[in-house]
Amino acid sequence: MMRGMWSSLLAALGLLRRRANLLCVGLDNSGKSTAHEEVVPTVGFSVEMFERGKVSFTIFDMSGQGKYRDLWRHYFSEADGIIFVIDSADRDRIVVAREELALMLENKVLAKRPIPVLFLANKMDLENGLSPVECSEALGLDRIRDRAWNISACNALTGEGLEAGLEWIIDMLRQAPPQ
Amino acid sequence: MASKKSDIDGDDTLFGSLDKATVVQEARAFNESPINPKKCRLILTKIVYLLHQGQTYQTQEATDTFFSISKLFQNSDVSLRQMVYLAIKELSGSAESVFFLTASLTKDMNSRSDLIYRPNAIRALCKITDASTMQSNERFIKQSIVDKKPDVSSAAIISAIHLSSLNREVVKRWANEAQEAINSKGVITQYHALGLLYLMRQHDRMAVIKMVQNYARGSLRSPHAIVMLIRYTWKIIEEDDSGSSRQLFEYLENWLRHKSDMVVYEAARAICSLKDVTPKELFPAVSALQLMIVSHKPTLRFAAIRTLNKLAMTHPNAVFPCNLDMENLITDSNRSIATFAITTLLKTGNEASVDRLMKQISSFMSEISDEFKIIVVDAVRALCLKFPSKQTLMLNFLSGALRDDGGYQFKSAIVEAIFDIIHSIPESKEFALSHLCEFIEDCEFPKLAVRILHVLGAEGPHASSPTKYIRFIYNRVILETSIVRAAAVSALAQFAVYLVDARERIKVLLDRCTDDSDDEVRDRAAMYLRILNEQDLATKYIADDSTFALAALENNLDHYLKTPASFSRPFDIKNVPVVSKEQEQADRQRAQAAARDRAATGQAAPAASAAAAAVPASVSEAAAAAASPFDAQSIYAKAMERVPQIAALGPLYKSSSPVELTDPVTEYIVTCIKHVFPQHFVFQFECKNTLNDSLLENVTVVMKMQPSDDPDAAGLKPEFVVRAEKLAFDIPASVYVVYRRLGGVTPTAEFTNTLQFIVKDCDPNTGEPDEEGFEEDYLVEDVEIVVGDYIQPTYVPDFERAWAELGDTHQVVETYALTAVTSIRSAVSTVMDLLGMQALDNSSAVKENATTHQLHLAGTYVGGIPVAVRARMAFNPSTGVAMEMAVRSRHPVVSQRVANAIQ
Ligand SMILES: Nc1nc2c(ncn2[C@@H]2O[C@H](COP(=O)(O)OP(=O)(O)OP(=O)(O)O)[C@@H](O)[C@H]2O)c(=O)[nH]1
Ligand SMILES: [Mg+2]
Repeated sequence: MMRGMWSSLLAALGLLRRRANLLCVGLDNSGKSTAHEEVVPTVGFSVEMFERGKVSFTIFDMSGQGKYRDLWRHYFSEADGIIFVIDSADRDRIVVAREELALMLENKVLAKRPIPVLFLANKMDLENGLSPVECSEALGLDRIRDRAWNISACNALTGEGLEAGLEWIIDMLRQAPPQ
Repeated sequence: MASKKSDIDGDDTLFGSLDKATVVQEARAFNESPINPKKCRLILTKIVYLLHQGQTYQTQEATDTFFSISKLFQNSDVSLRQMVYLAIKELSGSAESVFFLTASLTKDMNSRSDLIYRPNAIRALCKITDASTMQSNERFIKQSIVDKKPDVSSAAIISAIHLSSLNREVVKRWANEAQEAINSKGVITQYHALGLLYLMRQHDRMAVIKMVQNYARGSLRSPHAIVMLIRYTWKIIEEDDSGSSRQLFEYLENWLRHKSDMVVYEAARAICSLKDVTPKELFPAVSALQLMIVSHKPTLRFAAIRTLNKLAMTHPNAVFPCNLDMENLITDSNRSIATFAITTLLKTGNEASVDRLMKQISSFMSEISDEFKIIVVDAVRALCLKFPSKQTLMLNFLSGALRDDGGYQFKSAIVEAIFDIIHSIPESKEFALSHLCEFIEDCEFPKLAVRILHVLGAEGPHASSPTKYIRFIYNRVILETSIVRAAAVSALAQFAVYLVDARERIKVLLDRCTDDSDDEVRDRAAMYLRILNEQDLATKYIADDSTFALAALENNLDHYLKTPASFSRPFDIKNVPVVSKEQEQADRQRAQAAARDRAATGQAAPAASAAAAAVPASVSEAAAAAASPFDAQSIYAKAMERVPQIAALGPLYKSSSPVELTDPVTEYIVTCIKHVFPQHFVFQFECKNTLNDSLLENVTVVMKMQPSDDPDAAGLKPEFVVRAEKLAFDIPASVYVVYRRLGGVTPTAEFTNTLQFIVKDCDPNTGEPDEEGFEEDYLVEDVEIVVGDYIQPTYVPDFERAWAELGDTHQVVETYALTAVTSIRSAVSTVMDLLGMQALDNSSAVKENATTHQLHLAGTYVGGIPVAVRARMAFNPSTGVAMEMAVRSRHPVVSQRVANAIQ
């Protein structure tokens, strides 16, 4: 216990390497796995690890297919932050994304944990895509009051925009060290 | 250090006091961040340990644990990951959503090739794969089968073998990969790959033969793989009746010269257990085994002597040359080897050596386990039957063994052996019975005491001084538990019936038994007392040598109990076929001997037979293996119980033997079995599709009745058809066509039959059927209903008496000139085939060249009507057989029908 507090204190001072668990969710085919070179639909979940600055990230890349969405909740309790990926070109299913988001935020475990959510409006390279502002409207993000959130456009194929998103998360974690 | 180690090994120190609740608590550590790999590994070990101890997890518990474990994937500690896989495999059976790990597992399977846990990942993936995820995981498994690393490849092959029970067709597509894996540099991988390849081909004889030929030429380096190949080769030769696969025998012989002991032994064993092996073929195999029994390795000596022992049961002369070497094994410090040596010598030796060998065995009986004692007992039994003059010595040995310590199996084997000796060597009877009497004086197994009392009752009254047994039997009444007392009462009654002088005395004894504390004992005593006062009843109930066909009785009772609607009427025993006790016993003995034979030669490769067992066998094949026609019928009945519409038809009365309606080499094989139910006639068409590139769906049979001059034929009304949904390659399925017999008519009739179905082509590579199929008709041979289909054979102890009792009121006499038959013998078999009745007074046996003959038959017509037939025949070379057939029953119509059965 003492040790844990000590290390988080050090971490807050930026002296120690920190670790953070991110949970990556969103509808199927939105591009969650693309960022780390997976091409097939994810069955279940897969764990990815990488480092950025002094933080080593563990990302639980969840499957977005309907039958698996129910399983996201099992990973809420350890997450230090959530990445919610949206296929900005999939106008038809943005309402589905909205529903899933609402369900997720209603979850009891998550409701008690004010961890930040990063929304990625992916596939920004596609012509008919929604802009981040349109996305945020369609998802009703302005109603989220109990936690920090941010939305940025990105292209998972090229990595464009991901960096900015991650920076924001790191920033958030620094302000509120992982519990 | 040493003491610390033993602490870890001891269950009760580290894990002994574990309980599930604590472990579930501890498992919370899996959710911590960062993860402590060492701690988590220990907790996982505890979980697996508890599961292995038989602890069960409820679905919810298992699922929760499963999700916590999934979080451990974020740590890349290698030993933790291995433990994670072990735990997943164990939990996969009870947890939900296990497929959830698929992505993580496949990721590990494809990770850096030097990672130690890739095989673990594959095995775990196999566990969480179900029929729905099989296709999507196919790619990963295929790719792993051909992995360069033998452990990865082996894990994938084993998984494929497991998965084939989930979907054989998908696994069959991996043939190329399996073939490639056989060339793996891993010895065990080669062995596994061959097993997989066989699994894919086992139902295609030609393909297996090709496989054997292909790999027998020396491309296999793994002795394990060669051992498997030998077993496959053996199986092909063994199952081939045409003798065409005999060429494969050469391979077996070549393997006898292989450099690996394992291969040489397996080849020798295979040759020794071929069913019609010749002395010439046996010679090299026995020579190879002979070299092994003088080896310094105990395992080789044991294996070789055990095989020689088995061989000696069927081919004692072939083993004879090893006698000298086997003599030396009698003193082998390994008692199991010594036992086999002696019992083998008993079979191969001559009469003169028996005494010496028996002495040697007696000297170490107390040192061997029950299992080996039973082997000795079996050998002694066989020896006694072979040299009847040695029976006193043998019986002394056996009764000595009865007095020794030993479990039920062992004692039962001895008693069984003594019964056998009594049965086969009548001179031994009195001596054997006295030994048995002595044994029951102090027998700790009531079951055995009951059987012995039964034999005493059956044999004792006919011995030279029967009264001496009565005391032994009555002692049981005083001293034993109730089932033994009841058996003793029955045995006493036997004596009372046959020994007129002792009857009154025995009645006094029985009278005392009516005060017994157990009601079964009292009831029996009271019943026998009553019976004994009336000679007629006594002959009917005690001196009766007929009994019910037990399988049929069981079946009918079972059906009765399952249909509460029938409880208003008493159970109808008339529908149960009656056989002679001798016949019933002969049937049992034949079945037992066959079982022993199978055990003696049973050599099917474990993997092969396990896989074969997974494939549903055809009902008619199973029935063909049954001990008697009645057992066969109960197998059909059980199969039909599973078809609800047919189960509703009431108890099955009679099943005919199967008739082939197609050539055995056509694309579809159809066999017909006719079943008679109280108000229905059911045709069962068992169909088999022999084309591996087609799938039949919605299979039915269209039957057309031919015009008939039997007016009752109009009373047969088609009622319904139970179709076979599909007929996949090599998996038999049945179509049932059901007719109602209006007013219970029993006509003869003839039908043409057409198989109708939708056929779909299957992709030869994937086994996937096409979407679209087309309808097809397939004409098969005609079926005929004969009178015999309605008659159960019935045994009656005294034909003349039954004949007289039926009387000639409804006797029908017909005369026939059977011009087409060329001997009395074939006339008898024709008549018996058509009538399906029981031949009595040994009248079915006809002397070669007999010119006159009288045939006595008894049966029960459907509805429980007894029928008797007396046929007189005379043979004349120029005109054939003339026959006068008299039929008696209490029913004029039945008599007429039976008399007209011959056309
Ligand atoms: N044009 C474009 N295509 C993208 C982009 N990101 C992902 N894709 C494509 O979208 C498809 C789905 O990507 P995945 O990463 O497998 O989607 P996912 O969210 O992981 O899907 P699930 O695992 O089924 O939940 C792939 O064909 C990607 O190539 C993007 O920024 N632009
Ligand atoms: Mg994915």
